[in-house]
Amino acid sequence: MITLQHYLLLSAALFSLGIFGVLTRKNAVNVLMGIELILNSANINLIAFSRYSSHGLDGQMFAVFVIVVAAAEVAVALAIVLTMYRLLKTVSLDQADTLRR
Amino acid sequence: MILDNQHSLLFFLPELTLTIGMLLVILCDITLKRLRNRLNPILTVFTLVLAAYYTFQLDQTAPASLFHGMLAIDGFAQFFKLFLLLAALLVVLASLHSAELAPFHQGEFFALLLAVTLGMLLLANSTNLAMLYLSLELVSLTSYIMVGYLKTDRLSNEASLKYILFGAISTGSMLYGLSLIYGMTGSLNLYTIRDTFLSQGVEGVDQFTVLLILVLTMAGFGFKTAAVPFHFWCPDVYAGAPTPVTAFLSVAPKAAGFAVLLRFFFSGMSQTTGSQWSMIGGINWPLVLIGISVLTMTLGNIAALTQNNLKRMLAYSSIAHAGYILMGAVVLTGDGIKSILVYLFVYLFMNLGAFLVVTIIYDSDKTFEIDDYNGMFKRSPFVAVAMAIFMLSLIGIPPFSGFLGKLYVFGSVIDKGLYWFAAIGALNAAVAAFYYMRVLKAMLIEEGSGSTAPLQVSFFNQALLVALLLPNVLLIVFWNPIDRWTAASVQLFRGV
Amino acid sequence: MSFFDVMFCIVALVTVGSAAIVVLSRSLIYSAFSLLFTFFGVAIIYVFLGADFLAATQVLIYVGGILILLLFGVMLTHRLYNLNLKTETFQLIPGMLIALAVFTSLALSATQTRWKLVTQKPAEPTTEAIGKLFMGEYLLPFEIASILLLVALIGAAMLVRRRSDA
Repeated sequence: MITLQHYLLLSAALFSLGIFGVLTRKNAVNVLMGIELILNSANINLIAFSRYSSHGLDGQMFAVFVIVVAAAEVAVALAIVLTMYRLLKTVSLDQADTLRR
Repeated sequence: MILDNQHSLLFFLPELTLTIGMLLVILCDITLKRLRNRLNPILTVFTLVLAAYYTFQLDQTAPASLFHGMLAIDGFAQFFKLFLLLAALLVVLASLHSAELAPFHQGEFFALLLAVTLGMLLLANSTNLAMLYLSLELVSLTSYIMVGYLKTDRLSNEASLKYILFGAISTGSMLYGLSLIYGMTGSLNLYTIRDTFLSQGVEGVDQFTVLLILVLTMAGFGFKTAAVPFHFWCPDVYAGAPTPVTAFLSVAPKAAGFAVLLRFFFSGMSQTTGSQWSMIGGINWPLVLIGISVLTMTLGNIAALTQNNLKRMLAYSSIAHAGYILMGAVVLTGDGIKSILVYLFVYLFMNLGAFLVVTIIYDSDKTFEIDDYNGMFKRSPFVAVAMAIFMLSLIGIPPFSGFLGKLYVFGSVIDKGLYWFAAIGALNAAVAAFYYMRVLKAMLIEEGSGSTAPLQVSFFNQALLVALLLPNVLLIVFWNPIDRWTAASVQLFRGV
Repeated sequence: MSFFDVMFCIVALVTVGSAAIVVLSRSLIYSAFSLLFTFFGVAIIYVFLGADFLAATQVLIYVGGILILLLFGVMLTHRLYNLNLKTETFQLIPGMLIALAVFTSLALSATQTRWKLVTQKPAEPTTEAIGKLFMGEYLLPFEIASILLLVALIGAAMLVRRRSDA
């Protein structure tokens, strides 16, 4: 019997993996992948709650907007990463630390 | 009363103006190749002024909820709309003669500025979790782009990379927290959330979940207001971004972040007993806020002491000011909110003034180091004295307006009986005096080692400096009107 | 265990497993491709939850848009003749501890909290209802989302274009 809790555990696992990815990865594109995991986990939460906790489709509407925002965010993030590559010839985050003098 | 889409449009004029203005700037940028550099700033300024005019017109309407419960119209919303529009206007004017932005095509800058102002107006008024997240992301995304505007500058790019990665993580965590709220209450509307929490009560493990929710949502709000422990992006981003953008980030999104924080917690997650608010779930929210506030001010002030780069120093200084602002949030009363509004209002002028001086000096000397500010008094007494006034105002010394802000915030804390908390605040302000005085000393007393040519300051920048100086010096006189205005603005629409 | 339960377990395992590969793999290309499986797994979860429109959107935008963008990002930020796309990591142990702490607290709250539960209706197609909501109650967020996309478009194009303007 699959209940709401199973979906929540799944999204908790994805969220934790996303946090782990964000904390430990050096490549900027890898960190972006971790961020996408975080956003997907929140989306699963929203849609699961939309099914189990409310009569309307509010959760699903919110999830659509989250997908839109995620797409925009990835576009801008990659633009910044590409600019960084153009300037530094690397996208490793430990090279991007000249500001902290 | 909750208005539907058609009837809400009348109350939405400021935001509509901003949208149309932004689209016109984009169009003008694409089509009119020769006129655009002159036309874009004029269009932008006109849009902001028109939006402010429409906001004034809305002053007399009764509190309402717009667009099926997405936004709120109330005194609180009015204050922040005017504040944010004013901040955007001043930044536009300050950026016109910026040497940093000049090599880069400026058309997009104005369009992005209008977009971020639109996002902030929506953020400060959001009463629905989806609208809150969407407007928060609109503000954040546009800010990431504006910070990285200097494409060929390595520091600007690094700043925007750190900003976007840190920001995306924080807002993603906040989103997870918002989804948990949705799960506990079944609704995205702040007022329904509050009513559901109050009616069904929060016991046992639910309290732990509410605590988790608070931590996760504070990740997002703390990120926007640069409060500890979500402030790590602040010094690097402020130092790397173009100075007009830094000036903008230090006042406007921060204020919008405080607005949404207050609205979210006071309208959505708290219960009233008389004129007192307390957090649902029995969490000792004042204690948490005191902790965050003390950490924020102390860390900001102590870190600022060791900075040599003026922009980094001002970044840490603005972190510290966020700590003072949070003091007003601790008291959980109308007086507390009023003190936050007053502090934000005076903070706008002193911070923007300081950054304008930084821009002016960079334009001729190409430096941000405090040591290079030595002997500025001989080169331009006007600029040096202006900076001195801004620094004194930031310290909070009377008769400058910064004192007004600190007075209100400390006063509201003392009224609540938290004397030791006010003492910590006062101690912090005293420590802060050291690094602000350092700039004063460099400009007024030290001998300059670089060029001794008089500082070239355009007439426009001089006029702008005067415009920013006047509030710093005169607001103390207009104490009463400000008090009345902010007291009237502590009117948060509490739902139907 | 019904058929549905077995399917859910398989899909959940695939999703979490591929997410683990995304964050643990030493090769950037393996990470990107297992992210594909994660996104597909999440889309199937959406179908289990009766969100058909969301599942289609997930596949279209996440797999068809975001993943392609990430692959471009991976490919464009390495010298092509050196296909040794290895990534290094920061300290693994603190990260693992923090992630475990986060997971434990979230799992604890997920299983023990009294979530608001309503009686469920049988799943029905959601596309029409979502369309009506977009034009009705969610009109303002819909419009703001379009402005957000416009801003992202302008910003991304501006940051990456090469020619400098007078």
